[in-house]
Amino acid sequence: MANGIGELTVTGVNHSYGTGKIKVPVLFDINLHVNKGEFVALCGSSGSGKSTLLNLLAGLTKPEEGSVMVSGAEISSYSENELCLFRRKSMGFIFQSYNLLPNLTALENVELPLIFAGEGVKKRRAKATEILERVGLEGRIDHRPNELSGGQQQRVSIARALVNQPGIILADEPTGNLDSKTEQEIMNLMKQMNKENGTTFIIVTHEQEVAEQSDRVIYLQDGRVVQKRTRPA
Amino acid sequence: MKIIDSFRIVWRNLWRMKLRTALTSVGVMIGTAAIVAMIALSLGLKESAVKSLENFGNLTEMDVEPMYYIQEEDRMIPEDERKKLNMEAVRELKQIPGIAAVMPMKRLYEQAKLKVGRREGYVELIGVDVNESAEYRKNDVEKGAYLSGSPQEIVVAYDVPREMRDVEKEKRDARRRNADSNRSGGGGGFMPPDMGGGEQTAAFNLVDKAATIVLTREYRIDDEPKYEKKEVRVRVVGQLRQSENRRYSSAVYAPLGVVKELNDWVNRSRGDEGSDRNTRRTREEAKKDKFEFDQMTVKVESREMVESVVKALKEKGYEVWSPARELETINKFFFVIQMVLGGIAAISLLVATIGIVNTMIMSILERTKEIGIMKVIGATVLNIRWLFLMESGFIGLIGGLAGLGMAWGAVELVNYFGASGGLLDGLNMGYGRGGEEAEPSKLAVIPAWLALFAIGFSFIIGLLAGIFPAIRASRLSALQAIRSE
Repeated sequence: MANGIGELTVTGVNHSYGTGKIKVPVLFDINLHVNKGEFVALCGSSGSGKSTLLNLLAGLTKPEEGSVMVSGAEISSYSENELCLFRRKSMGFIFQSYNLLPNLTALENVELPLIFAGEGVKKRRAKATEILERVGLEGRIDHRPNELSGGQQQRVSIARALVNQPGIILADEPTGNLDSKTEQEIMNLMKQMNKENGTTFIIVTHEQEVAEQSDRVIYLQDGRVVQKRTRPA
Repeated sequence: MKIIDSFRIVWRNLWRMKLRTALTSVGVMIGTAAIVAMIALSLGLKESAVKSLENFGNLTEMDVEPMYYIQEEDRMIPEDERKKLNMEAVRELKQIPGIAAVMPMKRLYEQAKLKVGRREGYVELIGVDVNESAEYRKNDVEKGAYLSGSPQEIVVAYDVPREMRDVEKEKRDARRRNADSNRSGGGGGFMPPDMGGGEQTAAFNLVDKAATIVLTREYRIDDEPKYEKKEVRVRVVGQLRQSENRRYSSAVYAPLGVVKELNDWVNRSRGDEGSDRNTRRTREEAKKDKFEFDQMTVKVESREMVESVVKALKEKGYEVWSPARELETINKFFFVIQMVLGGIAAISLLVATIGIVNTMIMSILERTKEIGIMKVIGATVLNIRWLFLMESGFIGLIGGLAGLGMAWGAVELVNYFGASGGLLDGLNMGYGRGGEEAEPSKLAVIPAWLALFAIGFSFIIGLLAGIFPAIRASRLSALQAIRSE
């Protein structure tokens, strides 16, 4: 099934960890489709396979069986280098532990994807500054991660994920390390970016409050999709 | 990724680990300094040896004669197989790469006296092919012009006017001294100027002056020796520059035809007379066909080409008479010295290389998460390799630059103490030219190529040391790397 930019299709994916005789199956016959501009939450208890599924969608792991098609590209057949290039152009990542480079300022962290894309200094600085202002960090662009709060670091992480204007953002427990007030702020910010840019968001979470704010929630249990729930309009 | 951006990232990473970068670079610094200092010392000693050689004559000018003995085969070359120094040989020599000009010469077999006004002096008259030698001498004329081809023209070497004596003045002085010594009753006489008693006179201008070449030949009538004089009127049209080549310091150059004619006149006294005119003409014609020069002098384009020219000349069957013959031996000897000294120093650089590999591997272990993040946000495998290779290369480069500075300091010290300790005079084998204009010899020299080589080499050493760590870094799984702490 063909899909366009910002769309995502998983067909018949089975996956297990380990090699040889000792194999631990984690995903069984996963089939799902995400439309462009959707805000989808992957929910489930610990060990249900939601993070593994997210890694498969990101091309960080290759499925043993089945296909993963992202923005029209069958990424499960891509080489390591092709995946890197694909991620640069088409995907953004938000991590639970922010994963900012500690020796770089907020601005420099946001600039990094543009540096790898070969963007000139003036252009990338302008883009990074603009996106940092949009996430509400205009006064903090020259601060290093250790000079920022958890919420602010996650905002930098969101800005970094969005700066290349990717079709899809993958977020792994983006609010997992935040207090409830900050959690809501970050959720609002992501929802705002989803609406303003039309970017597809897929977030992994085990928090019900976060899941409830999504357009659609996909529940996983023991490596299988057990429920797909769409929020009533 | 733009190269300038990659350099910024690399520099930032190196700066972040200042102490480690500095300590790793110290290894490269010591290795580079050792290699540069050793090669500089060897080059300096070689330069001193070559300079000493130059005191025996200009290395780019060499006399060429037919080879008569093959050293490798230990055999004489039969006369009919030897090279002939004729115009064909001139053409052959001119085709050898590196030979700028060829000057074939024919000597006058008698000593000639050159008279200009009251001054006179013995000179060596050399006949030259005007066309061929004009190219050779184009930059050697100090005053006046070079020969134009007119038979009445001569050009004198730099020392000729300095060695000519004022005969009238010397006679007057001798008479006065004799009178003085007779008055005082002393028996101590003065040596006549012809026997070396005269002082060297100050140089005077010979150019554009009329001169006479005087030759004397001896012949016998009834076993009684008789002498005949011949005077040839000429004009001095030019004077050559002072040459490092002392062999031709009292030479007077004239067109080839003039010297041939004078040689014929000299030879007639040695049994040629009495033959009838027709026989002589036939012999002269035969001689013309088989005419050979006594010697050829070649000028080499640069000192660097001397060795290859000497080799080519020998291959073509010519013998070279020049201090340049020793250049090959000197070069070979110092090449071995350079290799041995450079090899010893290279061991320290090898140790430094291992140090860089170690540092880079440690760096990868520490920055595994960072590599993972970079891969996830868009760095390609090549980007990661490039960053780590450059980082490693820059450690080498920093060490190389510091090592070059260290070697430069060491070389300056060696030269300072070498010069003040008189060590260089000993190395010059007592032939130092001295004088204010002479550039002082150095025990060690760092030419530009050596400095550039050292910098480039240390950078390459760094790059080579970085290959394995860079590949290792690029192969890290993004997922595993990002999960690591």
